[in-house]
Amino acid sequence: MEFDWPVFVGLILFGGVVAVDGTSFGQFMISRPLVAATIGGWIVGEPAQGATIGLVLETLHLGVLPVGAAKYPEGGPAAVAAGAVYGAMVPLATPLLVLVIGTLILEYLGGETVHLMRILNGRIHGGELTANGVKGMERRHLVSIGIDFCRGVVLVSIGTVFLTAWAGLLLPFWGLSERVSGLLVVGIVVAMLTSAFRNLGAKYWFAAIGAVIGLVALYLNS
Amino acid sequence: MNRYPIGVRVRTLLRSFSIQGSWNYETLIGTGYAFSLVPALRHLYGPTGDELENAVNRHLGLFNSHPYFATVAIGAVAKLEADRTEPAVINRFKLALRGSLGSLGDRLIWSTWRPMAVLVGLVLLLGGATWWIGIVCFLALYNSLHLTVRVLGLRMGSRAGLELGRVLREAPIQPLIDRASRVACALAGLAVVLAAAPASGDPEQVAVAVAAVVFGLLVSLHTRRTIILLLAAVTILALLMGLVGNGA
Repeated sequence: MEFDWPVFVGLILFGGVVAVDGTSFGQFMISRPLVAATIGGWIVGEPAQGATIGLVLETLHLGVLPVGAAKYPEGGPAAVAAGAVYGAMVPLATPLLVLVIGTLILEYLGGETVHLMRILNGRIHGGELTANGVKGMERRHLVSIGIDFCRGVVLVSIGTVFLTAWAGLLLPFWGLSERVSGLLVVGIVVAMLTSAFRNLGAKYWFAAIGAVIGLVALYLNS
Repeated sequence: MNRYPIGVRVRTLLRSFSIQGSWNYETLIGTGYAFSLVPALRHLYGPTGDELENAVNRHLGLFNSHPYFATVAIGAVAKLEADRTEPAVINRFKLALRGSLGSLGDRLIWSTWRPMAVLVGLVLLLGGATWWIGIVCFLALYNSLHLTVRVLGLRMGSRAGLELGRVLREAPIQPLIDRASRVACALAGLAVVLAAAPASGDPEQVAVAVAAVVFGLLVSLHTRRTIILLLAAVTILALLMGLVGNGA
């Protein structure tokens, strides 16, 4: 699978925006895997496929909390690459599962780069005003945001190449049937949603009400 | 900040969006905090000069808070600076705010509102809505509170000043957390049913969905880590099966 240059450039620039949204500027949640993967898929012309892999990645990311100085996997840039690569593939459960596994590796790589950037920021910004006073401090602050943008660009570039190679390498030797892969994807999504419910205070009556509404909707729709 | 011109207030609000721009392990969001406060300090102490540098230096140290709720602290400190409050008092005030603003934001935004908004998007997608409807609804719902907290937080802080603790205690934040948590739990129940929906009529898929629910309830906080370990095992198994199959 190959991307045209304009598409690839669009992807990596969006990767930069997503990385910055994750921490440095805004946090409007464009960096959530659901949004990032869907737009990644949209850039390659398949937003629905991007949304499908984004949904699975989002459920896996529901319990990740960016609290204080905690080190956590970074979902955004990895999801952009995943949405784009899955968007360029046949929409089946096996490539979906294989790409989700590869994306989890990328998320940890992203988390490590965030950690390194924070160390670098510590060196760029001293505790007190140094060179060029207030203006210098303002400039260095903007430089840090620029570094974060470049980090996202690099992560999506590497991620797209990595996931393409990962799928190309694993899929020919994947021994599980399409049906088993599909069952695994459903199992992952359901298990993660259930654990999210536990993390939300486990209000069983409200979960039961939601489940009954779902069952009634399914019955009426059948 | 009510004593500041509208231009200063808007610049402070816009800068607050980048409060985590230079996040580091030494001062956490301290640099971003000072960066956000600069328009107010320039208004008070002039565009350049030692007085301004001293004021900025006072705010460059360690500071941490939830990024959205940081506007509350920015507003309050801008008011104290305008009132020419003693720097030592401002420092003690900032120290007292740090923990409470972080905890409030983590509980309201990260642990409740964001999962709830995400679940709205997921439920819409699982229910068959067009891709963009799920995304737009999630972003609109999430950012409605996000932007409200930033804008009202700045205003609340700038009006309350040293009275901020009392004002925060009176704010209806805990009822909002409780309600959002209930809605999120209902959405999680609905999402589980919709995610397992293709299973209806297929006993194997129903069994997988039920097993996944039990697994999620039992493993709870460690579900992600456990699933990643299981996926690693599945990958090895699938490749071994594929290699053996190809060899045969």
